[in-house]
Amino acid sequence: MSFGAPQALSNITVLPPERGSFPLDHDGECKSIMKDYLACMRKSGGSSTKCRDLSKKYLECRMERGLMAPDKMENLGFHDKTR
Amino acid sequence: MSFARCALRAFATSARPATAAARPAAPSMRQFAASHFGTRFASTTPTPTPLPRSSTSGGIGAHQPPAWQRQQARTHQRNQSALYYTTAVFITFIGLSYTAVPLYRLFCSATGVGGTVQTSKDAGADDARFSPDNMVPVTSRGRKLKITFNADTARALDWTFRPQQRVVEVVPGETALAFYTAKNRSDQDVIGISTYNVMPAQAGPYFNKIQCFCFEEQKLRAGEEVDMPVFFFIDPAFLDDPNTVDVNEITLSYTFFNARTIDTNRLHALNPRAYQEPPAAVAAPSS
Repeated sequence: MSFGAPQALSNITVLPPERGSFPLDHDGECKSIMKDYLACMRKSGGSSTKCRDLSKKYLECRMERGLMAPDKMENLGFHDKTR
Repeated sequence: MSFARCALRAFATSARPATAAARPAAPSMRQFAASHFGTRFASTTPTPTPLPRSSTSGGIGAHQPPAWQRQQARTHQRNQSALYYTTAVFITFIGLSYTAVPLYRLFCSATGVGGTVQTSKDAGADDARFSPDNMVPVTSRGRKLKITFNADTARALDWTFRPQQRVVEVVPGETALAFYTAKNRSDQDVIGISTYNVMPAQAGPYFNKIQCFCFEEQKLRAGEEVDMPVFFFIDPAFLDDPNTVDVNEITLSYTFFNARTIDTNRLHALNPRAYQEPPAAVAAPSS
């Protein structure tokens, strides 16, 4: 949010997230998967494509523990289609 | 009458002595009289030198303003009309600059040129933005994007807030996960709230966040450390926007602020009647 920006720019850049906010993982239930994901990212130099399986696992863990509204993985972009 | 004529001629001659010599001599009154009426007239007045005739006048006695005066009058008229035209142009442009503001606003709201937001379209397009068809990675264009992360806290907020990865390489349409870590260094429960910003500004509308941790209060207990994920993707329409042709790096910047610091004992002391419930229920009051 940039105060004092010209009218054309002031309300474009900030949009709300679709599904709101992630509930905080206070007990660290999915922390191990997060650590694996981050290690994979460091190894691959930040390539998101190579570590997609781990991010899918992380979100599934969240859904199981009630830390995320459950939904099909295809709706979250985890499919094999490309354009 | 003849005397008056002679006097006029004398006056004219005296006024313009230089030109008199250049003009051809007109027949004097005396010569005229002598030729037409014989010698009956005996004039004692001296014959004055003839009146210098204007080169453009036809007969004697045609009293026209000389050429230089007519030229002056024409120039004066031309100057005046030029002045009127200039004043009119001046006033027109002042008027245009006043009407330009509402006209421009009308034009922009109708066509959306220059980045003005068309809010009615945005409201309807929200569902299309997050439809599963939009979350298809576009690998055919050969464009990859680097997302870098930045984290800030307000000075009053005693939290350690850091991104957990330096960069995420992603393709438009591909959903990606990124993590931030926040640790409450103080010895009290703190509720923080964050906002975000996307740079460069033209990439902002295409940064679609599916789920994150911004705009909602996040409470951290004293000394607690927690991971905050951001699940996002870049809209494939990013590839078709001419403004973002040279954008290859996008920075996501989060800033955490203090929402409020809850000290439930103090709340009790301030207003005991309002807080009859046990402290646990009071921990997250609505604003």
